[in-house]
Amino acid sequence: MTTRRDFLKTSVLASSLLFVPSFLHALDRQGLKDLRDSRGRRLVVVQLGGGNDGLNTVIPYRNDLYYKARPTLGIWEQSGILALDKDLGFNPAMTRLKGLYDQGQLAVLNSVGYPNPDRSHFRSMDIWQSGSASDQYLSTGWLGRYLDSNCPSCPTAYNGLEVDDTLSLAMKGDLRKGLALKNPGKFHQLTQNQFIAQVSRQQPAGAVSELDYLYKTLAETSSSADYLYQTSKVYKSAVAYPNSEFGRNLKTTAELINSGVGSRVFYVSLTGFDTHVRQQEQQGKLLGDLSDGLGSFAEDLQKAGNFDDTLVLVFSEFGRRVSQNASNGTDHGTANNVLLLGGGLKQRGILNNAPDLQNLLEGDLRHQLDFRSLYATVLHDWLEADDKAILGSQFERLKGLV
Amino acid sequence: MTTTQQQLQHLYWRAGFGPRPEDVAAGLTPRKALRQMLRDSEKVELLDSPQMRYTEPLAQFRPVAPAAGKPQSGMVTTPDQTAMSAGMEMPVAGPQKDRPQPPLLRRQDMSAQQRKMQNQSIQQAFYAMNTGWLTRMATSPAQLREKLTFFWHGHFACRVRRPDAALYLNNTIRRLALGKFSDLLLAVSKEPAMLQFLNNQQNRKQRPNENFAREVMELFTMGRGNYSETDVKEAARAFTGWGYNAQGEFVFRENQHDDGPKTFLGRTGNFTGEQVLAIILEQPRTAEFIATKLYRFFVNDTPNPAHIQVLAQAFFKSGYDISALLEQMFTAEWFYEPANVGTRIKSPVELLAGIKRTMGLQLVDDKPLIVFQKALGQTLFQPPNVAGWPGGRNWIDSSSLLYRLQLPSVLLKNAEFNVALKQDENDIAPNLTKAERTFQQQVKTTVRLAPVQALLARTPAPQQAAALSRFVLQAPIRPENLVVIQQAADKAPAEGRLRTMVTSLLSLPEYQLM
Repeated sequence: MTTRRDFLKTSVLASSLLFVPSFLHALDRQGLKDLRDSRGRRLVVVQLGGGNDGLNTVIPYRNDLYYKARPTLGIWEQSGILALDKDLGFNPAMTRLKGLYDQGQLAVLNSVGYPNPDRSHFRSMDIWQSGSASDQYLSTGWLGRYLDSNCPSCPTAYNGLEVDDTLSLAMKGDLRKGLALKNPGKFHQLTQNQFIAQVSRQQPAGAVSELDYLYKTLAETSSSADYLYQTSKVYKSAVAYPNSEFGRNLKTTAELINSGVGSRVFYVSLTGFDTHVRQQEQQGKLLGDLSDGLGSFAEDLQKAGNFDDTLVLVFSEFGRRVSQNASNGTDHGTANNVLLLGGGLKQRGILNNAPDLQNLLEGDLRHQLDFRSLYATVLHDWLEADDKAILGSQFERLKGLV
Repeated sequence: MTTTQQQLQHLYWRAGFGPRPEDVAAGLTPRKALRQMLRDSEKVELLDSPQMRYTEPLAQFRPVAPAAGKPQSGMVTTPDQTAMSAGMEMPVAGPQKDRPQPPLLRRQDMSAQQRKMQNQSIQQAFYAMNTGWLTRMATSPAQLREKLTFFWHGHFACRVRRPDAALYLNNTIRRLALGKFSDLLLAVSKEPAMLQFLNNQQNRKQRPNENFAREVMELFTMGRGNYSETDVKEAARAFTGWGYNAQGEFVFRENQHDDGPKTFLGRTGNFTGEQVLAIILEQPRTAEFIATKLYRFFVNDTPNPAHIQVLAQAFFKSGYDISALLEQMFTAEWFYEPANVGTRIKSPVELLAGIKRTMGLQLVDDKPLIVFQKALGQTLFQPPNVAGWPGGRNWIDSSSLLYRLQLPSVLLKNAEFNVALKQDENDIAPNLTKAERTFQQQVKTTVRLAPVQALLARTPAPQQAAALSRFVLQAPIRPENLVVIQQAADKAPAEGRLRTMVTSLLSLPEYQLM
C-alpha cells in the first residue's frame, strides 16, 4: 500500500499537485478588484417560487373590491393586518418585515409585471430569470449577463453565488457563470474527492477548445471552493434564524457576506407558493418564514455593518388572480409586488400606486411597472453596470430609488 | 489524422448514442457502418408501454364538459396556459388506439387530494416515457432514428402537462424523423401538444393569437431576420381555426378560420396554414437554417459556412430529404477531421445514454436517471422553453461539472449521489417538500464489462489503460491523466482493475466530449 506521500514523491505529477497554478492563487485577491466599481455594494435576490399571492401579502385592506373578490380568502383588518401606507398592510405573518419597514429599510413596489404575461410557472420564471420579453427566448440570465459585462476578466466563478445545489438560469452568462453551493463545507468536500482533486489541478492549455474550457471551469471551481471554505470560516453567525431550509440558506448567505467573500450577487429561493387550496394557512406559514428569515438576515448584516451596502430584491414569477376560486385559493395571475430591503434605500415605504382593482384585464391586475425597469435601476444605479447592454434595450429607470 | 477506430467511434457517437465494444470489434469501415445504421433505422417502432399510458385518475369524479370549440373567457386566462387545460377541449393523444378519455375536472375545482392523484399519475407516465426512451437510446438498433428523434425533440421543443399528448408528438417525430422535413414540419404543426403549447387553440378569426406563427418562423424554419412583423400577423391569420378536439385529434374549425386575402413573404392569396408552411419551405433560407442546426448538433458547435452552404443547397434541391442530408454529412471527409472529433460537449442525455450503451449499464430502479438529468440540466420532455436546450458550453457550470465527474463512481462503484433538486417541474407538482426533492443514496446497477474485456484481450497489461482510453474517449487523453489512471489501476485488486480503469476514464473532463 502506497501512502499518499510516497505517491506524491514518485508521481510525475508531483510538481503540479504541490503547486497550485499561479493564476489560481492570484485570483483570490484579484476577484473583487476586477469587478467594475460598485462601491462594494451587493445584491441579494430572493425568489419566491410558485407564484406568491401578492394581494394577500401587501393587502389592500381598505378596498371593498378586494373583499368582494375574495369573500372568504380576503384577510380582514381585525386578524392583524400590519398597516403600512396608502391603505395597504402586510400579511399578519410579516411582523419582522413590518419592523424593517418602520425603520425605513423596506420599500414596496406594486403591480410589477410585463406585457402579455405568461401564467405558466416555468415560462414566467424563465422570463423573470432571463430578463426577456414574453415572446423572447434567452439562454442566459440577467445576473449572468451582469457577470459577463462587469467582469469579463474575473478569473473566478464565485462573483455570483447561489445558495442551492444547482445553478439557476438567472446566474448563467455566456462567458461567466455563478456558482451554486449549499454551504461552503459541503461544496469544498466535493472537490476534495481524490480523483477530482488530482484532475482539477491541471492547467488548461488556454481557453479556446472545449476541453480547455472544461479544465478551466474545473480549476476555477476547485479554487473557488477552497477560497470560499477558507474565507467563510472567518465569521460564524450568532443571530437566530428560523429553523427552515430558507432560514439556513439565508444564514449561509449572511456568513458569506460577513466573512468578506468577494461576491456581488447572491441568489436564494423560497418555494412552495403554488397555493391553490388551503391558501391562507399555507401562505401565512411561508410569509412568516420569509419575514423571520429576512428579519434575521437584516439583523445579521446590520451587526456586521454590511446592510447599508446590501440591496435585497424579493420577487415571484407572477401574482394571483384577484378573485378567489372555488376551493378557497387563487389561480395563476399576472402583476405582483416586489419588495426591496436594505440600509442604502433612498426611498422607503410604498413607492407607487396600490394595485388598481377596478381596472382589471380579464380578472387580472394590469402591470404598472415593467420588471426590467426595476432590473435596469438596480443594475445601473446600484451595481453601476451597463443596464442597456445587459438587458438588451433601454428601460426607463426609477429615479432616486437606490 | 484519426485512426479508423476513432472514425468509426465518431460516427457511432454522433449518429447514435455511442459505440459498443462489439461495434468496434466488428471493425467495419465508417461507410459500411453508416449503411448498416441506415438499414437498422428503417423500421419505426413507436415508444409505448403500459406504464407510459396516462390514464385519467379522476374519471370517477364529476366531469365538467363545456361545449368544445367555443371561445370562453377561460381560454385566455386559464391558470396554466401551457398546461393541457382541464375541462376544455382536451387532446388525448397517444400511440394507442383508445384515444378518447373522460374529461377532467378543472384544476381549480379539484380538491387537494384530487390534484395530488392527478399529479402522481401524470408524473408516473412522464417518468416511464423518460426512462423508457433513455433506455431505448442505449439499446435500440435504430440508433440513427432515435438520435434524430432526440434532435427534433430539442428543435420542436414542446412542454405540456398531458403525458399522452407529449408521447403522441414524440412518436410523430420518431415516425418522420428521417423522412422529408416538409412532412415532419406539417405533422408537428398539427400536433395537439404543439397547438396547445403555442396557443393556436386560441387562434381565432376575431382574435388572432400569433404565438404559433411566430415560433414556426423564428425557431422551426427560417430564423430571425428573415420575415417581418407583418408576415407574423398574416401567417397567424392563415393558422386561425387550427386546433384539436376532445379526442386529441387535429381539427380545422372552419368557422374560426380567416379565409380573407393575406400577404405573406411577398405573396398574396387567401392562404391556408398549409400554404403558409409551403411558402416557408420555398425559402432557401429555411434549408440553410435547418442544415446549420443539424450541422451544429452533429458536426461542430461552430458552424463552417462553406460546409453548410453545400449541405443546404443539396437539402433544398432534394425537397428537404433528411436522410440524404445526413448521409452527405456523415460521408463527408471533413466530418472525420480532428477538428470535428471529440470536440463537442455531450448533453446530459447523451452522457447518460452513452454510458448505458457503451458499458451495457442497467439500473435496478430507473428513477435515479431522472434525478441525474435534472441535476445536470436536461430532462427529456421538459425543455426549458420553445427554443429548446441551448447546448454547448451552456451545459457546464461549477456544479453541473462536478456532478458529471461524480456520476461514473455512482454508476459503477456504488458511490452515493446527493442532490436537492430545484422545483423545475412546477407545472406538475410545484409544492414538493425539500425531503421530496432530495436524492441521497447509492444507485444499484449492473454493467457488462466482458465485451470491454474482450476488446483488450490481446493488449498487454501495461498498455491496457492507453488502449481502453482510445475506446472510451474521443478526445485524446492528457498524458498526465494516463499516468493517474494507470496508477489507480495498479492499486486496484486484479478483479476490480478493469472497473477501476473504466470508472476513472469516464470521470475525466475528456469524457465530457464526443
